[in-house]
Amino acid sequence: MTRAFFSGMRIHVKQFTVNAFDLSAVVLWPILYASIAYYLLDGKNDPELLLSASLGAAVMTMWALVVLGSSGALENQRWLGTLELLVAAPMPFAVALAPITIASGVVGAYSLVATLAWGALLFDVPLSIESPLAFAVAVPMSALAIGMLGLMTAATFVIYRAAFHLGVAMQYPVWIATGLLVPLSVLPAWVGPISWFLAPTWGFRAIRDAALGGPAWTDMGMCALLTVVYFAVAAVCLRVFENFARARATLRLT
Amino acid sequence: MNWLRVFFVGGLTSYRALFNWISPWVFFPVLIVYPLFQTLFFAYLGRFADVQSDEFFLVGNTFVAIAVTGFFGMGNAVANERRSQTLAPVLATPASRLALFLGRTLPSIATGFFVAAVSFGLGALILGVDVGGAELARLAVAVIVCSFACTAFGLCLGALGLRGRNVSLFADTISGCLLLASGANVPLERLPDWLRTLGSAVPLMHGIAASRKLAAGESLGDAGHLLLVEAAIGSIYLVLGLVLLRFFEHEGRRTATLETF
Repeated sequence: MTRAFFSGMRIHVKQFTVNAFDLSAVVLWPILYASIAYYLLDGKNDPELLLSASLGAAVMTMWALVVLGSSGALENQRWLGTLELLVAAPMPFAVALAPITIASGVVGAYSLVATLAWGALLFDVPLSIESPLAFAVAVPMSALAIGMLGLMTAATFVIYRAAFHLGVAMQYPVWIATGLLVPLSVLPAWVGPISWFLAPTWGFRAIRDAALGGPAWTDMGMCALLTVVYFAVAAVCLRVFENFARARATLRLT
Repeated sequence: MNWLRVFFVGGLTSYRALFNWISPWVFFPVLIVYPLFQTLFFAYLGRFADVQSDEFFLVGNTFVAIAVTGFFGMGNAVANERRSQTLAPVLATPASRLALFLGRTLPSIATGFFVAAVSFGLGALILGVDVGGAELARLAVAVIVCSFACTAFGLCLGALGLRGRNVSLFADTISGCLLLASGANVPLERLPDWLRTLGSAVPLMHGIAASRKLAAGESLGDAGHLLLVEAAIGSIYLVLGLVLLRFFEHEGRRTATLETF
């Protein structure tokens, strides 16, 4: 199982790195969102706010890649007729699926470079990192936690014929509820408690606090806790939904 | 008679099959949930930045939803022929290419209109934006013009599908750029000149500008020139799309690449 997991990780990181669609998502989309935020927030004259917006846009891309990568990969496997083979393989389906979602998160972390460089070159956003060590740990921790959230949501994709469409629809709600570009204080109060259960909230806070100064390690602790919880829930959900899909014989439907 | 049958019946059938939304459960997440939350996201970002009103973002993102529908809908309605391995048989038929491909634009325009109406209605309800009946009627005209222009642009993207594999990449990239360059989410006066020039060369910018005037209570006469420019841009892309379809069909036959995937 360990070998299957790491082989899967290696293959999917390679695939996402050479796929033009994913590459455009890593480079273009975070720059677009960061640029919109820069143009809108420019009037506030707060360099830290602009750096925070850069980091938020990068975490948005991480989530987008995870949810689009996992849903797209599942839908592709349906079209190629390999989903049934994966489900029938003598290992838990989670071991086949987790590398896809985690690899998406890892590749999504590249977008940090894109947004930070873009912000520094065009908008004079400062590039000072308060705690480089915490920053270096926070990025992979966030990628892992967001990848695990993707694994949990991917469980539902198994029973959904057009998984990619569902993945597309899940981007903005999570971006809003986790306060990545829009602070939670602007949103209705009931959104706050929802954000506590979503990994991008803590991943973004960890990266932002490491860059600007703040309790980054506490945020990383929440990321670690959520990673474990997500994995446990995903393992159960995947088993249930897999059985459901087998019983209804829908794994092959496109 | 056969031309009309291919145009209307063939167009609708092909569009439904190739846009992959025969089931409403497929249609709902991507064409209702996505644009609605996109509107909310940017409206709240605008509130945080103290830039413009909710109505500004509601109108802007409603029209971005039209663009997404037109680009992906029309693009896929042509390009997915390759994925479903029906491109070669379709091009081998003696049917008029004009009827064959132009027939797919009507359902795309209708879808754009429907998506815009639902996104605008739900967004206005949630954000508490109040637009009068007369303004809504005038906005409907702008929506039709923009749906046409975006569908025409989508036809160009679909034509690229006769040559390349991944039309979604172009549609995704261009619709993403329009979030910024069309003025949907950033007031045009805040954008650099080169970005505004770029945005004005593709559909949406003039349509959005016209719609904001109409939503503010101005008459069709006041905003008409912007809608005419939008319609003219759409017409240019429609002609370009048809030319590209003819060119790439010829190239595909010559190089035997219609079935490669």
